Amino acid sequence: MAAINHPLGGVRRPLGLPIPGFRINWGVAAAVAFLLFAALLPVLQNSFVTSQGFDVQASQRQQARLRSEISLLEADVARLTSQARIERRAQEIGLVKAGDPIYVTVQEPGPAPAKLPAEYLPPPAPQPAPADSWWKSLLRWRPW
Amino acid sequence: MTIQKARPSRRVWLPALFLGLFGAVLAARLVQLQVLQHEAYAAQARSELLGSSTIYARRGAILDRNGGVLATSVDTWDVYLNTRAWRTPETRAAVLEKVSAITRIPRADIETRLAASGAVETRIAIDLDFELGRQLIEADLPGVVLLPNTARVHPEGDLAAAVLGFTGLDNTGLAGIEAFYNDILQGKAGKAVYERDTLGDPIPYGQYVATEPVPGDDLVLTIDRYLQRLAEEMLAAAVKEHRASGGSIIVMDPSNGEILANATLPTVRFSTLEQDLESATEEKSPFKNIAVTDTYEPGSVMKVVTAAAAIDAGVVTPDTTYVDNGVVDVEGVLLKNWDDGVYGTQTMTGVLQHSINSGAVFMQQKLGTRLFQSYLDAFGFGKPTGIDLPGEASGFFRRPEDPGYSPVDVATQSFGQSISVTPVQMMQAIAACINGGNLITPHVVKARIRPDGSRVDVQPAVVRRVISQAASDAVRRMMGDVVTQDPDGWGRNPARYTAGGKSGTANIPVWGTYTDDQQIVSFMGFAPLENPRILVLVRLDQNRNLLTGTQAAGPIFARYVDEALRYLGVPPEKGTATAR
Repeated sequence: MAAINHPLGGVRRPLGLPIPGFRINWGVAAAVAFLLFAALLPVLQNSFVTSQGFDVQASQRQQARLRSEISLLEADVARLTSQARIERRAQEIGLVKAGDPIYVTVQEPGPAPAKLPAEYLPPPAPQPAPADSWWKSLLRWRPW
Repeated sequence: MTIQKARPSRRVWLPALFLGLFGAVLAARLVQLQVLQHEAYAAQARSELLGSSTIYARRGAILDRNGGVLATSVDTWDVYLNTRAWRTPETRAAVLEKVSAITRIPRADIETRLAASGAVETRIAIDLDFELGRQLIEADLPGVVLLPNTARVHPEGDLAAAVLGFTGLDNTGLAGIEAFYNDILQGKAGKAVYERDTLGDPIPYGQYVATEPVPGDDLVLTIDRYLQRLAEEMLAAAVKEHRASGGSIIVMDPSNGEILANATLPTVRFSTLEQDLESATEEKSPFKNIAVTDTYEPGSVMKVVTAAAAIDAGVVTPDTTYVDNGVVDVEGVLLKNWDDGVYGTQTMTGVLQHSINSGAVFMQQKLGTRLFQSYLDAFGFGKPTGIDLPGEASGFFRRPEDPGYSPVDVATQSFGQSISVTPVQMMQAIAACINGGNLITPHVVKARIRPDGSRVDVQPAVVRRVISQAASDAVRRMMGDVVTQDPDGWGRNPARYTAGGKSGTANIPVWGTYTDDQQIVSFMGFAPLENPRILVLVRLDQNRNLLTGTQAAGPIFARYVDEALRYLGVPPEKGTATAR
């Protein structure tokens, strides 16, 4: 059993670490960076979409609220222009219901229509040039 | 060394067989689930993942002919309380107190509803105001759930309620225009789809609108809100004055069939709709517009139709004379005049002026049964007019081929008995008598306005020509002679405008006989005489003072004409001073 005390071969040999000078393997680095970016991309996309989703939902809520407010305002306008409300308001400011109107039939013709400034009038239709008499038109055939 | 081979025994192959079968069953089940029923389970999984909600479409508004809003929709909320969300009595009390303060529903009422409901979620408010709902949402109370809804509002109050009708809790039209044009007004609801988390709540970025809601069209009615209000006020006053059970004032443009006003009593009221629905009977139902759903015997107004038919057929002229003896014998049955009077020699114009029954029978007998009833058919009696309102009755008159027919039937039909008509049917027929002879379908919708703002006008529909222009002119003047029996501005004669008309007083048939103490009185007239702008029916049901149509309904017609034509800008034809 002498072989038991046999020292392990190679223990005393110096470790041959290859550190002749640090050199970056750009290919590996690029691959690692690409892998990191690829891993992060879904996270970034997810974050972006989530943020956009919240914005869209907020806009939709605002749009719905504004639509509702428009319909409420339309109903308010309708209420304010209702006959009952107009009558009530008229009474509040002291108006009274009109009595029987008096119609007067006049025999004179009505006033002439008011004259409008020229710029509001339609352009006058172009007048056709007066036609020459037939014998004058013959003169156009003369060679001189 | 030899290995002794085990002998297959029951203890080995039985479990092996069992396990083998079990494995085969499992495999078969897996094939069934994952291959054969793949689509169904995939759909189920999607439905677990996806939720959807309805996006309500805006219900179209209803406008009067001048754009005044009669009905429109506003957004509201339905409020539910989820009792499981409250862990402690203190939380429950605080939430209920806050909800009560915002919704203005007494807390005791809320407690009562919660106690009465066995469900987890209890609805405590329907159609809560939009702003109050917003306050409730911003309060962020646990267990308070708000669902969007819409409610119908009527800026003019109860005006034209019988025409407009109403909608149910699901915003579906149940009566009137709301029901007849429900598909057009309702639009199409949209759908929002979203992905859900484990609690069922929408995932924020997982929502998308699957179907956009399509808003309903707005409807422009032929109704004029001023004329409608005038009609309703005058009708209410007349019913009170004459102690009638009800009545109607209907106004139509005889040239195109547009209904300008339709006032009826009794009628549905938006302000008391719930009580009206609870106390509804067959006779008095909020679902009915008695102008189209109920029939009556028109009485002497029918003499106008008889005269129009006889003149058009050429069997009489307005000046044809006959001798009235106060009674006419039809197959042994004596038909008397309404007042038991004897008028002697009369023209056909005189028959209308004095409303002589024997004169109407004279004209009918000149026509003969078949020809007279073919005119009734041509005037649209016995068939719905096709007006765009729900529940229209068709009316009825007995023909020779009907069981129980007697020649007396057709004789009495000539003066408006033994024939049932709707008010709108009668207006359609008289309009044809005075508008040149064209039977025109009455209608209450003038135009549709689509969500993109484009407008589609409803064109008048001429059903057929019934009588000639000459016959129509003659009948119009005969009706004018009826009205001018009264001095201007008195009785049925308007103060400012020329007019024509005819009254009707019909006893109500009860169990096959007529009673003197129950009657329907009416007056159908138009103005101006030569170019009619409006045709007006004034009808009073069971007026207890028992005045005739001329006495009770005639003056209402005259007042209405003066007011309505002044409003429509028609120059007055009489009663004006002349200056030089």
